[in-house]
Amino acid sequence: MERTQQHRQVAHMRQSLFDQGLLDEQFVQLEELQDDANPNFVEEVVTLFYRDSARLVLNIDQALDKSPLDFSKLDSYMHQFKGSASSIGAKKVKSECTLFREYCKAGNGEGCMKTFQQLKKDYAVLRKKLETYFQMARQVGPVETACRRK
Amino acid sequence: MELPSKINNNEKSLQQGISPSGNGGLISNSKLTALVVDSDRICQILEKAILESQGVETQVVGSGRDALDLLASGATFNLIIIAMVLPIMNGVETTRQIRAMGIRSKMLGVTACSYEREKQAFLDAGVDEFIEKPLTPQKLASIMREMRNA
Repeated sequence: MERTQQHRQVAHMRQSLFDQGLLDEQFVQLEELQDDANPNFVEEVVTLFYRDSARLVLNIDQALDKSPLDFSKLDSYMHQFKGSASSIGAKKVKSECTLFREYCKAGNGEGCMKTFQQLKKDYAVLRKKLETYFQMARQVGPVETACRRK
Repeated sequence: MELPSKINNNEKSLQQGISPSGNGGLISNSKLTALVVDSDRICQILEKAILESQGVETQVVGSGRDALDLLASGATFNLIIIAMVLPIMNGVETTRQIRAMGIRSKMLGVTACSYEREKQAFLDAGVDEFIEKPLTPQKLASIMREMRNA
């Protein structure tokens, strides 16, 4: 009974990530790629995303400190960042990447800086929530809907 | 963190520059084969996982130069999935050079950007189709169906 309740809590936590607009359908696609041989595929891909994207975040931060701003370079960094963020289903982060690129296109430095500050907050919030979710999911064991047996 | 076999095999293939099937770079023709050309690790892993989940033998390279070298060595692929943003030589230029080699494999251009101008540049360079990242199993399944029916 307690286990069922724990599973429900994990499922509820997962659903809340979608309801809050933090994740999109792409996250479900990742879950569907999980199998018995790689039961933690999603967590590992997400972990790798945060590991790899840390360098890009730093590059963008440094580029935003320069004067004048190199919008072409900023756009290129964000293009890369958007690609991997969208691959893990990070919906809110992805839309902020798009907004940032629009500010780059318009040569709007202030817009870029404000958007990037928000992006970093949402990126960190998502990371924390996903870490908590994965930790809980591991504790209660596989949820049937998360893994499709092959 | 020890990465699971699905991610580790991808990493080993990248380091060794060989087909995951271990046949020294020449992909067997007994099933559909694909080459992923993308410098983003998350996208590499995701695209390879999606392709392999649909029974496609897949190799991954991280740059346009590596793709050209591999193709010049005689490796053949039914499908080439190529990112727009690549180090040194971008996806558009790489596509042009692949087509200039006389390679007629189906080419799918992928990018995190949806600007019409960039899409057209990719199509003009020689990709058969262009999609916005991320690649999804549904989109790939549709392409696979076309290829198997051709």
